[in-house]
Amino acid sequence: MAEKKTKKETAPKKKETAKPAAPVKTAAPVKTAAPAEKAPAKEQKEARIGVFLCHCGTNIAGSVDIEDVQEYAKTLPNVAHVDNYQYMCSTPGQGKVKEAIKEHNLTGVVVAACSPRLHEPTFRTASKEGGLNPFRFEMANIREQGSWVHMHDREGATEKAKDAIRIAVAKASLLQDLIPKSVPVEHAAMVVGAGIAGMQAALDLANAGIKTYLIEKNPTIGGRMSQLDKTFPTLDCSQCILTPKMVDVGRNENIELMTCAEVENVEGYIGNFDVTIRKKARGVLSMEEAEAKGIVGGGCNGCGDCEVVCPVIKPNPFEMGMKPRKAIYIYHPQVVPLIYHIDWDSCIKCNLCVEACGDKKAIDLEMQDELVKVKVGTAILATGYDIFPIEKKDEWGYKKYENVVTSLEFERLICASGPTGGHLVRPSDGATPKKVAFLLCAGSRDSTGIGHPYCSRFCCMYSLKHAHQIIEKIPDAQPYLFYMDIRSFGKMYEEFYYRIQDEGAKFMRGRVANVLEDPTTKNLIINAEDTLLNRPISLEVDMVVLAAAVEPAAETDKTRKLFGVSRSMDGWLLEAHPKLNPCGTTTAGVFLAGVCQGPKDIPDTVASSEGAASAASIPIHMGEVELEPYFAQCIEEKCAGCGMCVNLCPYQALSLVEKDGRKVMQVTEAKCKGCGTCGGFCPGGAIWMQHFATPQIIAQIDAFLLGGAK
Amino acid sequence: MHEYAFFLGCIAPNRYPGCEAAAIKTSEKLGIKLLELQGASCCPAPGAFGSIDLNIWYAMAARNLLLAEQMKKDIALICNGCYKSIYEVNEKLKHHKELREGVNEVLKGIDMEFKGTIDVWHLAELLYDPKICGLQKIRDSVTVPLEGTRIAVHYGCHLMKPKKERHFGSTEHPYWIEEMVAALGAEPVEYRNKMLCCGAGGGVRGYDLVHAIDITNEKMINLREVKADALTEVCPFCQLQFDRGQIEIEEKFGVKWGLPVLHYNELLGLAQGMSPQELALDLHAVSCEPFLEKIL
Amino acid sequence: MQRTKGYPEALDKKLADTRLFEDERHPDFTKTIEKISMTIPHMCYQCGTCTASCPSAPRSSYRIRKFVRRALLGLEDESLTDPDLWLCTTCYSCTDRCPRDIAPTDVIMAMRNLAAKRDIIPVNFLKTVQAIYTTGHGVPNNDVNRAARKKLGLNPEPPTTHGFPQYVKGIQYILDYFGLKERADKIVKEREG
Repeated sequence: MAEKKTKKETAPKKKETAKPAAPVKTAAPVKTAAPAEKAPAKEQKEARIGVFLCHCGTNIAGSVDIEDVQEYAKTLPNVAHVDNYQYMCSTPGQGKVKEAIKEHNLTGVVVAACSPRLHEPTFRTASKEGGLNPFRFEMANIREQGSWVHMHDREGATEKAKDAIRIAVAKASLLQDLIPKSVPVEHAAMVVGAGIAGMQAALDLANAGIKTYLIEKNPTIGGRMSQLDKTFPTLDCSQCILTPKMVDVGRNENIELMTCAEVENVEGYIGNFDVTIRKKARGVLSMEEAEAKGIVGGGCNGCGDCEVVCPVIKPNPFEMGMKPRKAIYIYHPQVVPLIYHIDWDSCIKCNLCVEACGDKKAIDLEMQDELVKVKVGTAILATGYDIFPIEKKDEWGYKKYENVVTSLEFERLICASGPTGGHLVRPSDGATPKKVAFLLCAGSRDSTGIGHPYCSRFCCMYSLKHAHQIIEKIPDAQPYLFYMDIRSFGKMYEEFYYRIQDEGAKFMRGRVANVLEDPTTKNLIINAEDTLLNRPISLEVDMVVLAAAVEPAAETDKTRKLFGVSRSMDGWLLEAHPKLNPCGTTTAGVFLAGVCQGPKDIPDTVASSEGAASAASIPIHMGEVELEPYFAQCIEEKCAGCGMCVNLCPYQALSLVEKDGRKVMQVTEAKCKGCGTCGGFCPGGAIWMQHFATPQIIAQIDAFLLGGAK
Repeated sequence: MHEYAFFLGCIAPNRYPGCEAAAIKTSEKLGIKLLELQGASCCPAPGAFGSIDLNIWYAMAARNLLLAEQMKKDIALICNGCYKSIYEVNEKLKHHKELREGVNEVLKGIDMEFKGTIDVWHLAELLYDPKICGLQKIRDSVTVPLEGTRIAVHYGCHLMKPKKERHFGSTEHPYWIEEMVAALGAEPVEYRNKMLCCGAGGGVRGYDLVHAIDITNEKMINLREVKADALTEVCPFCQLQFDRGQIEIEEKFGVKWGLPVLHYNELLGLAQGMSPQELALDLHAVSCEPFLEKIL
Repeated sequence: MQRTKGYPEALDKKLADTRLFEDERHPDFTKTIEKISMTIPHMCYQCGTCTASCPSAPRSSYRIRKFVRRALLGLEDESLTDPDLWLCTTCYSCTDRCPRDIAPTDVIMAMRNLAAKRDIIPVNFLKTVQAIYTTGHGVPNNDVNRAARKKLGLNPEPPTTHGFPQYVKGIQYILDYFGLKERADKIVKEREG
């Protein structure tokens, strides 16, 4: 919980602006607890700004006349020192800042260089080491917004750089000491999604001693990996390597597993997320739940007696609809937790299952959803993927021709625990197919607006695997892979490609234009071109497997909005930085693991999960996290207590309190993001936005408009 | 009554006038009035003129469009080839300023200016559209149901493709013209690769006849597999290719087919009680007799 | 295109250097094609979907994929002099299915336009031009048809430029604007005497 007042100190100041023309709002935030006279005395100083120009090699100096800008900077009001250097971010560059602060008694520093997103922290630290409060540093971006976008307009770029510096100096002249606020971090984390990514992240967090809530929308954990048969390139059985982790997750004391659960609401901020979870009505009590209700020896033990008597038969989604299940069922025998669940859409409430369950009394047909609130310090999204609805590319006949299946359906068919016991059969007649065509890039690398423009990354590899499985299981079977490229990029992947080609899979370099069906035999006719031979191909096969594109799981959009995570242009969740921060997001305290950030194979998924868990554990282990002090402040002597700002705040950070017999506004600093909504609105000008205060912004505007180029 | 300027093209009025007569008469019965459009020319044939110079294609098509703009009526037509020229040029000129200006520069010389004030429709889509006519109305207008006949559909190419520039939905497995055939009481039959081109377009029929009729022959082979009694289409050029093409196939390849080929308007005419004479079916190269025997 | 080596003719033909050198490639050709066709052949990744969809490919040496490759590489002479250029039926199946959203058919049409500028154009196209110049129709009316029309109760001449011949002038104006009739007549004469 954020504690106001105790850790924060403000420095009430009156500052004269450098430009007499600019209207001055000298509003100093006053704390009632510390009357102005007793405030820590800092001398009223005249502003003395140091300006440092960076060449950035030729990145800036190539388009901007540094000397000219330097001379100009010297003419600006309040500028006490100007310097330039090849690379300001280097050690000697930073050294210049440090030394100049001491030597010239600077009250503020402006570095004209790249984007603050890169080096604001660098120069804030340098200023701090020079003895200045780090928030008296202002950056002027004359690279990304200057030299780089006006590379062929030297004059224009130079003038723009002068403008940028003039504006920055005007603001720097009015900056004040600010102290970042530290808030405690709840010693708990949340992982949303319990596929391999979520499970791995949860295990890492839990083993690091952090209580972890693992939320899974399905009745069991395991995700997509539990649907796979063998995994490339090692050909390990997927369930065999996954179930130990599933069991670990189920048993780990630090993991509180909630299945049939979805995130309903998220409030708060890093270190203090208040998450509401909807535990959907399962219809079946776990043993713990039964005990809590006083049913001795009760609760579901996975015996399956209910399933036997249930009269309703529906397709099993885990088996991609290819195997039947009852309205009360489990996905497969190895589910974790081993608790049955009811599909309310198909349950007819006949009560036969209740009778069959008997004394265990595990079934509650009147069960309702439950909302549970938890508090966590950080959260990881691991929401995974769905297969693109490939029937939209109707040239390949999916859902029209029986013997055209997707890769995930193929996995279930070839899997020993699948609907056919691992015997690959054709849906139309149950015959064993001998000639099977694999269509790669189905729905991927597609700029038509129907499919996805990106590459789905792991389909080349699993298609190789599928070809191998066919050769292994069906003697004299012939797999054909129709491809544009074979992307076997990972460790031992190219060797795997070599192996599969050696085993006899035929590789036809040509994307399949369309598939037709022989109405009598239900065989498929593939139309492609062997682009290497320069000949059109007509190939009759028994079965077609579409390596369909993947896309974010359907529920991702709802969940990511709750956590304030954006999407990239390709639809996957947006990372903080694609190279330097692929597991973080721009929302502090929220991280990404696995395919939800972009298609990945299992090795990369596990690696990203471990990365996310590591990053997510840092604030928790540190115990506190520093918030940038951009929060709003109430200028109580001006506050009329009207309360209109309170409802405007998107973060519910404001409230009205009684002080000295009148109402004034109060900011919960830890919740405040400094968005400026209240500050911009307040009709009495009673709200001071730290680091973006009205006088500072007006000084910037005035400097820009009134202090034109000379 | 929905009124349209009837764009005729070349092959319908000058080789299969029965299509023209059928279109006018059957449409009237279904609440569509096809008005005389005076002075129209060849659309121009998109395969021929598009290949020579697209600018000429735009200009000549625009001239045809303008005749209808002057009538203040949307155009209805019965040929896929004409559809490509008239519909596509209309859309392209409406949306590309530079093209439009270029065309108007040419048309200035004959005192015409493309304004983009009308729309263009294929009669088949008007018949299918419940807002204009619809399947039920077609069914209700049938007095001689084509019962006991198996009719295959050739969609042709320019009506529905490219799907990005058209509005007919799936170009891989359409079924709407089969529905229109069923509305006449016949049994629509699908056949292998039914969306394959007839082979005539792009000037290929004129450039390399045996190449073109080899494509047609591939379709004939697939049609035989399903024992169709007739083939129907919505494009007189495809009709010519299948009709005369069967004779040419016999001459050049020694393969005899004898499958009657009728434009949907001709079928509609028959179903509404028009006689084979009123439809000039005797002008067909392949005799329609075997088909007529089944329905009359 | 091949580089000859100055050998006796038969050997020059046999041993010509068939490698693709840069001088065979003309970037302007690519640009012109893209301007006329209003599509993007430079984005082609040679997947072969187009050729696989093509009705002409199985019965000839015509490969639409190769033509798009030539457009991308700027192989002007090879493209425009290849007789296969005229085997495209413009069925648009390739355009419909291209995953890179290219319209290969329009690339062919653009190439044909450029070939026509070089007077490379099959004579059947020119004959169509002549028919349209005279009558306004590529497939003009004839007596058999007139008789048939009469029997149907239609005017022997349809209400097109046949029934209203005054409109033929407009057609002729357009064709003359582009000088097409003259060129067509010239080329037909050259080819057929």
